[in-house]
Amino acid sequence: MSLDFKQVVSDFKNGLWAENPIIRLVIGMCPTLAVTNTTENGLAMGLATSFVLIMSEIVISLIKKLIPANVRIPSYILIIATFVTFVDYFLKAFFPGIAASLSIFIPLIVVNCLILGRQEAFASKHSTPRAIADGIGMGIGFTWVLVLLGAIREFFGMGSIFGFTLLGDWYRPMVIMVLPAGAFITLGILVGVMNYISREGK
Amino acid sequence: MEKNSTKNLILTLATIGIISALLLTFVYEWTTPYIQAKQAQAQKQAINEVLPGVEEVEEVEKNGNIFYEGYDADGSQIGVAFQNSGGGYNGAIEIMIGVDLKNDKIYKISVLNHQETPGLGARITENEFKSNFEDKAFGDYSVVKTPPSEEMQVQAIAGATISSENTTRIIEDGLEKINSAYGGGN
Repeated sequence: MSLDFKQVVSDFKNGLWAENPIIRLVIGMCPTLAVTNTTENGLAMGLATSFVLIMSEIVISLIKKLIPANVRIPSYILIIATFVTFVDYFLKAFFPGIAASLSIFIPLIVVNCLILGRQEAFASKHSTPRAIADGIGMGIGFTWVLVLLGAIREFFGMGSIFGFTLLGDWYRPMVIMVLPAGAFITLGILVGVMNYISREGK
Repeated sequence: MEKNSTKNLILTLATIGIISALLLTFVYEWTTPYIQAKQAQAQKQAINEVLPGVEEVEEVEKNGNIFYEGYDADGSQIGVAFQNSGGGYNGAIEIMIGVDLKNDKIYKISVLNHQETPGLGARITENEFKSNFEDKAFGDYSVVKTPPSEEMQVQAIAGATISSENTTRIIEDGLEKINSAYGGGN
């Protein structure tokens, strides 16, 4: 099996913009809307999800030929759940602060359709190197949008970014931005802006 | 053997399940000591925070609850700390309450765990809110939205009335448990 280097690079780039999971495919919305109230939460969730995504894509692309088609979904879920549980314990042991602020949303990575979706659409059909490239690309694509969303919401909602206060006492925080409604508004505007930018290019 | 035969399906899932369980057993064994150490440390820190000048802590079980009796360097009792929990706006809130039994007053409180909204309810961990309870007498508190004018008033966090209200109830409930265990008089 020959490996086309250009193909791997384009698989990697795919997730960054052209098929970005949040702004293009619009999948994985539950963590996107729920945990991006601060920049730090967005970054932590992005990295945790990326880890699970990359590891599951590796395992599934390796054993794809051994899994009978009829039980492929439960098999994928089992593999994904294993990595999610690993992340859950790991964060609780070494980053208790992050584990506490993300709380229930870490175990919920299991049902993030971004992860299952990539297994079904990509890892189960392509070679391991291409699956790794896809996992890293999608992971970074997911993470940067979460960080951007978190930064916008934290900036307007609390006047800070990564917990550092940028706006002084004169600023009256827009409370709605850290509430769920703020997530919908920010995401909607972001998707609109991204669509506009990519249309301009054509 | 056909790939999609029942036997093969069961075998596949069982194999993945067993491997996954094995791996997670190791991860669990590896991380549990760290998790427990972190929790014990957080609890110890909270006790030190709510009982000023505490040198030694003794765990005492009364009425099925665990109380932490704090002693100073001379061995005399400073007060008692008690961890109480209850529902907040998003999930459980755990609070360590330190009280002065001689004067029936709260020393301080410390929030151990919570899942309140960042920027709003999460501000129950900030001093501005916690100081509401410093040196307060035992009893029922009323949550008000303006700076407190009476002894038993607690100022709510703007935009987080439910978090403030529930935190106050958890503290009241904790005080009652301390009172019934130590028979402090009102």
